[in-house]
Amino acid sequence: MAAWVKGGAADVSAAVEAAATLLAAAKTPIVTGLSADTSAVRAAYHLAGLIGASVDPVGGDGLYAELGPLSQFGNLNTTPAEAIGRADAVLIVGLRPWDRPIVQEIAASAPVRGRAAGSERTLLSLGGPGDGATRHVSYPAAAGGLAVSVAHLRAYVKGNLSGEAAYADLGRRLTTAQYGVVLYDAAELGDLGVEMLQGLVRDLNDLTRFFALSVSDGFQGRAVTQLASWTTGQPPRVGFGRDLPEHDPWRFDSARQVAAGEVDAALWLASLPAPRPDWLGSLPTIAIVGEGSADATGDVAEIVIAVGVPGETAGGALWNERRAAITYAPPAGPPADLTAAAVLAAIQNRLTQKKGASC
Amino acid sequence: MLILIQGGRVVDPTAGRDGVGDVWIEDGHVVAASERKPDRTIDASGCIVMAGGVEVHSHIAGGNVVMSRLLLPDLYVSEAAPEGHPFAHAGGSAAWIGANYARMGYTIAVEPAMPPTNALATQLELADIPLLDRGALTVMGNDDQLLDLLRQREGKAAVRDLVALSVATSRGLGVKCINAGGASAFKDGMLNLSLDEEIPVYGLSTRKIMNALLDAVEEIGVPHPLHVHANNLGIPGADDSFVATMEAAEGRRIHFAHAQFYAYGAVDPANPGTGGFRSAAERITEAMEKHPNATFDVGQVAFGQTVTISLDVIRQFAGRKGANPKKWIITAGDAEGGGIVPFLYKPRGPVSSLQWAIGLELMLLSGDPERTILTTDHPNGGPFTEYPRIIHLLMDKEERDREIAGLHKVIAERSGLCGIEREYTFSEIAQLTRSGPAKLLGLADRGHLREGARADVAIYRDDKNRTAMFARARLVLKDGHVIVEDGEIVDWRAGHTLELTVESDKAMETRTDAYLDARFGAGLDSFTVPDEAFPVSDVFEDVACRA
Repeated sequence: MAAWVKGGAADVSAAVEAAATLLAAAKTPIVTGLSADTSAVRAAYHLAGLIGASVDPVGGDGLYAELGPLSQFGNLNTTPAEAIGRADAVLIVGLRPWDRPIVQEIAASAPVRGRAAGSERTLLSLGGPGDGATRHVSYPAAAGGLAVSVAHLRAYVKGNLSGEAAYADLGRRLTTAQYGVVLYDAAELGDLGVEMLQGLVRDLNDLTRFFALSVSDGFQGRAVTQLASWTTGQPPRVGFGRDLPEHDPWRFDSARQVAAGEVDAALWLASLPAPRPDWLGSLPTIAIVGEGSADATGDVAEIVIAVGVPGETAGGALWNERRAAITYAPPAGPPADLTAAAVLAAIQNRLTQKKGASC
Repeated sequence: MLILIQGGRVVDPTAGRDGVGDVWIEDGHVVAASERKPDRTIDASGCIVMAGGVEVHSHIAGGNVVMSRLLLPDLYVSEAAPEGHPFAHAGGSAAWIGANYARMGYTIAVEPAMPPTNALATQLELADIPLLDRGALTVMGNDDQLLDLLRQREGKAAVRDLVALSVATSRGLGVKCINAGGASAFKDGMLNLSLDEEIPVYGLSTRKIMNALLDAVEEIGVPHPLHVHANNLGIPGADDSFVATMEAAEGRRIHFAHAQFYAYGAVDPANPGTGGFRSAAERITEAMEKHPNATFDVGQVAFGQTVTISLDVIRQFAGRKGANPKKWIITAGDAEGGGIVPFLYKPRGPVSSLQWAIGLELMLLSGDPERTILTTDHPNGGPFTEYPRIIHLLMDKEERDREIAGLHKVIAERSGLCGIEREYTFSEIAQLTRSGPAKLLGLADRGHLREGARADVAIYRDDKNRTAMFARARLVLKDGHVIVEDGEIVDWRAGHTLELTVESDKAMETRTDAYLDARFGAGLDSFTVPDEAFPVSDVFEDVACRA
């Protein structure tokens, strides 16, 4: 197992000691990334609670395009298995969902459960690529972008706009579905777009059954959100600077905090792949990264500790996109010596010892 | 360590004890009086000594609980007062739940709604609730595999094997059905469902599904009877559904969830949708007397802001229009649906006042408190932290009258509460909150203080202000260790998650693996709750099936 301190190779215990020393001296630390299994994320929350850090998962922007409207408005959602098994109409909003495997699975199947079983499935696209690679009916986005397109569509469904425009036709297809699903990417649609889309789905449920399904951020954001909820009673971004969890998506946005010069130390947790923030090398940082990853080098951060990768060289409970649930991923091969949770616990133990010694 | 709890008023209705005496504890269990010198003596003079409280129906973990926190992040208040646990003061968190139950003298809490598709997350969340033993009921009754098996008339053995496999895989403590068939019917366009109404596609009814599950639970030997959330919750005339469901059990053991929400007799039975409802507590009580096979938990209402959480998606979809504040979540899940609807029980509102009265009436009319379990269906009727106040109202007629005087006059007009003189005794409170729920869960060593019992003990200062008395126990022992002193947590130890030891049939495993793989792109392994997924070891504790 590899570890580095200030660019030089170190043993893990020395790296843990350096990490504890760095965090013990920090006044406004942040814990970010959290692209890891639930045990590691849990350990990161406990460590953040101990040192008064703020916590911001890497999926922050996409996550908040979802969580903001959820807390203000609510939602009407379904799961991938229900979409694949029941839907006779699926509307894909935007470009990004087309990169996800679920689109091909939806396109290649037909409803087998519920009242739509045995009927054909209609695949519809709003603002999609329109490339014809997958059979579907395409409707271009309106000039104002995706959110405005969804608003126009909603107006036709609601009867606030009428006529023979393309969106009127799309609206008719949605209202005549027996079990409809709209697939979207919250980061692409934005929070106002998500709120409008959920409003559309609400309106459709006055007429039929229709549900939303968003693709996840890909960096364990949904598992983090669940764990954050039961650990702090709040969604993520949260700060522990005043000895209680305070939820504030603006104040505890790590990118904003770093840009504003509010941060004096960071812990970056990414035992699973995640886009490395550009500020990583410019702050005193501890990086806990997957062994064998491109980030497992001494120049990534002041202190770098390589750990087992969940599902590959370590077991772990992870977000399973197809199942829409947290499931356990056993190690695919021989397990690594060290897990992220164990490293975080070791840092916390060392910090606790230091705190005890300083009293 | 030998511990003597000395000189308290020991209340254990299962042993006919209600008087000053001693309780001896060693190695985590209650033991016979010893001639040896105790290692520790707890002076309990002036105190009431009871077994630890047992909660059978409180939504404390799982996907809908998580979503409720995301919908209403400001529902609970977080306070900055660390007391040895980093998140104990984080309102609504797992640690907050454990701490608040423990302060009240509770030592077990059961989450009543764990869909097998989300078992691992639910179990991870439960495991993070400190201080208590926990458990979860595996929800069935809307999943396509079960419904298809019933549609194909495959027989009792197949249902039994699927139920056993689902409980074993999710590591549940019992089985629950929630408006059986309702979520499936909702997805296929229905907006209400009665006991014998046909569920689209499958040609089944709630009665048929529930019958199959009742039989399966008995055949497997699940200690806890089938936990039933019946049809038509919360509407005028729901008492008809409740009584019909009770009769449909045909003598088999059955537990009804949150009976208060069904004790609504239609004022105009010919037009139940108009005219509102009146208390049907007397009718429910009479039905309970005729059906000794049945138990219920109350689902008492407490005034104030809360959030309703239920897998009864039909009910929640209908209730969305009453959301306060006006936001809500409806989920068409993989088997069950789900809904989260914020709600404000208004202290002077006629509907809320009547609901509040009906819950108390149900408990005060009960001839058998052991079959009448105190719950608020947390958080649906209000938070579990209201239990001390509810106990106060049950034990003190004057206090009850004072409270009624400030509420809506509908209580006198449409319920019999005002005319009830009864005041609960400590023994009856122990039946309502200890011995009754422990028996209901089949936990023979809980809910009492007889020799061999777990040393889960709550000691309260006897105080005429029962709210204050039961809100902050003087001492609470969990497995013989003091975890609460004067209402504060002093030892943040972890309890265990209780799981039923049940064998699953290999042929059903193979069949289910193939079914799940076709539907979810992942087989049975993806639905398991392995020890390796937990951050700590020794999470689970076995509970045996009935012989």
